[in-house]
Amino acid sequence: MQDQHTVRRPGELVFTLILLAGSLFLLWQAYGISGFSSMSSAGAFPMAMSAAMVATAAVVFIRLLRLPGPSQALLRLRTEILPPAVVVFSLLILAYCVVLETLGFLLSSFLFLLSAITFLQGGRFARALLLSVIAIVCVYIVFRLIFQVVLPEGLVPERAIMAWLHDLFAARN
Amino acid sequence: MDALTYLFSSWLQPELLALTAIGTFAGIYIGAIPGLSVTMAVSILISFTFSWEVNPALALMNGIFMGGVYGGSRTAILLNIPGAPAAIATALDGYPLAQKGEAGQAIGLSTVMSFIGGMVGIIVLALAAPAVSEFAIKFQPRDYMLIGIMGILLVGALSGESLAKGIFAGAFGILLGTVGLDPMTAEQRFTFGTVSLMNGISPIALMIGMFGVSEALLQLHHLQKEAVKQKIDRIIPVWRDIKRYLSLSLQSSGIGVIIGALPGTGGDIAALMAYDHAKRVTKNPEVPFGQGAKEGLIAPESANNAAVGGAYIPMLTLGIPGDAVTAVIIGALFIHGLNPGPLLLMEKPDMFWFTVGNLVLANIFMLAFGLTGIRIFTKIIECPKAVLFPLILLLSVVGAYSINNSVTDVWWMLGFGVFGYFMKLYGYQVAPVILGIILSRLMDDNWRRAIISERDSLGDFALGILTSPLSATLLAIIVFVLFTQTRWWKARFGARTEAPVADNTGASARQG
Repeated sequence: MQDQHTVRRPGELVFTLILLAGSLFLLWQAYGISGFSSMSSAGAFPMAMSAAMVATAAVVFIRLLRLPGPSQALLRLRTEILPPAVVVFSLLILAYCVVLETLGFLLSSFLFLLSAITFLQGGRFARALLLSVIAIVCVYIVFRLIFQVVLPEGLVPERAIMAWLHDLFAARN
Repeated sequence: MDALTYLFSSWLQPELLALTAIGTFAGIYIGAIPGLSVTMAVSILISFTFSWEVNPALALMNGIFMGGVYGGSRTAILLNIPGAPAAIATALDGYPLAQKGEAGQAIGLSTVMSFIGGMVGIIVLALAAPAVSEFAIKFQPRDYMLIGIMGILLVGALSGESLAKGIFAGAFGILLGTVGLDPMTAEQRFTFGTVSLMNGISPIALMIGMFGVSEALLQLHHLQKEAVKQKIDRIIPVWRDIKRYLSLSLQSSGIGVIIGALPGTGGDIAALMAYDHAKRVTKNPEVPFGQGAKEGLIAPESANNAAVGGAYIPMLTLGIPGDAVTAVIIGALFIHGLNPGPLLLMEKPDMFWFTVGNLVLANIFMLAFGLTGIRIFTKIIECPKAVLFPLILLLSVVGAYSINNSVTDVWWMLGFGVFGYFMKLYGYQVAPVILGIILSRLMDDNWRRAIISERDSLGDFALGILTSPLSATLLAIIVFVLFTQTRWWKARFGARTEAPVADNTGASARQG
């Protein structure tokens, strides 16, 4: 089926080269653990595995060299490997993770959902706003309140709000 | 007579009945949501059920375990994201079926087959626990190591573009599993002097990254494509289908129980081995494997639920957990003052028969919930991708953060997500990486135990393998798997081995 592809994919050679270099680095690191001291040393098993990585990455690399390179590599890299949607979305996730602790879970997740949904559906801000609020409330109830997952609090004083709600509820009863 | 009373105690007490039902229902959804694992849920539950009696606590956890193993198949079929490692093989044919608009049938069939598998597992647990544990007790460290290699090779050979890429992915996963302090000598491995790496890399962060984030990124390539409307008119599978596949289901259940009963190997390997078995015994599938063959759905689903019953065998009779979840459950039993081991069956037969009866109950609930709750569930996939992907990512971040309540795991998840994205694009499988990191410790420990017992002599080690019938059989299987990947084999038996297994996510996304 797709056993042997006939043309290199754009960027494939570079990726394989990175894998090969990374594997060699890991092999060197594994050797550094305990060298060739004994078959049962802490480093023996990691060395065997990293050696397997080097060998297989080399096989893949050599096979790739035999294939013709892709035509219009740069253009196809931008459409097939890294289309704009993927790049923008990745940057949004990156930003989300960066601000997760400082802004807290509620605010950062809300902003992430709002911007990601708006971007992916190409506008329609009001709809995105509504969906984000619904999603955030559901996730908060399921994870924070039912599963008791600890989430970074950040700027929104959610514990104070919850305590206030709790008091309100308790007072009514 | 007493055994019978214990067997049905959870059926007759409303509290236990309710807890089993809640556990099973929650388990299905926990298993289905990528990033939420049964292991995680059971671990969290231990702290909640600490003050409970042992039976209610067990009822809840049994339900979650049974439901969770099954629930993983749902997202595997609907989204091509296995909710749990045990559902990796399910996605291979389940997702193509869903793409054809047969999600309802696929889920219905997998539910019934999971039920059959579950029952087989429990029956074997009840009848053969002592015998099977005696068999497992004969396993030498080298056998565990060989089983680990076999499991990873199977995934590597099953999937992806080439065996080389499969082995690379597997070795990479195993290597990730060795990061941190060596459990035997406390030497640092790949820590680069940083404290956060000393505890190793969380397999859950890796899993969420490679299955959640990278898949969401990959699916962005097809944003404009209309989501396949899931036809869910026929959820309850036709009797003809069940009858037709019953034999395969029972065979796969047999594999599932045996693999589940081996300490350290659980539903994930059982499912993959059953998938491979199905490929070998099905001479003329209606649809090629990897493109929506029902055989490829039935085998892993029967096997992974059969493995649940199997996993309890070594746990209850030897005190050795059969897989990650039973490892957590064994912890719960210790907390409740029970000491699982060879004496448990003699001293506390009530515990054993309660567990057996309760598992049957959970299995029945699983069938009931599985065949009725699909309509709401399938709506998930009809939800627009613009909402779905940000939500998947949000859940991934919550899941990764909640492992240790730290952002470090979120970064690992993100890193592996991006790396997994490129791996999939360039024809590497991510499943061997996950299997590698899960099996790493087992393989490393047992390799060292084996080689130490041979006084560091490779020759004696090899001789030991060749002269033991069990090890020699395992080695023969490994050689056979490698052999099926040679050009000679493929040229000769190509029709059967070539069709397999589109890459579980990447290829289908590319084709789509």
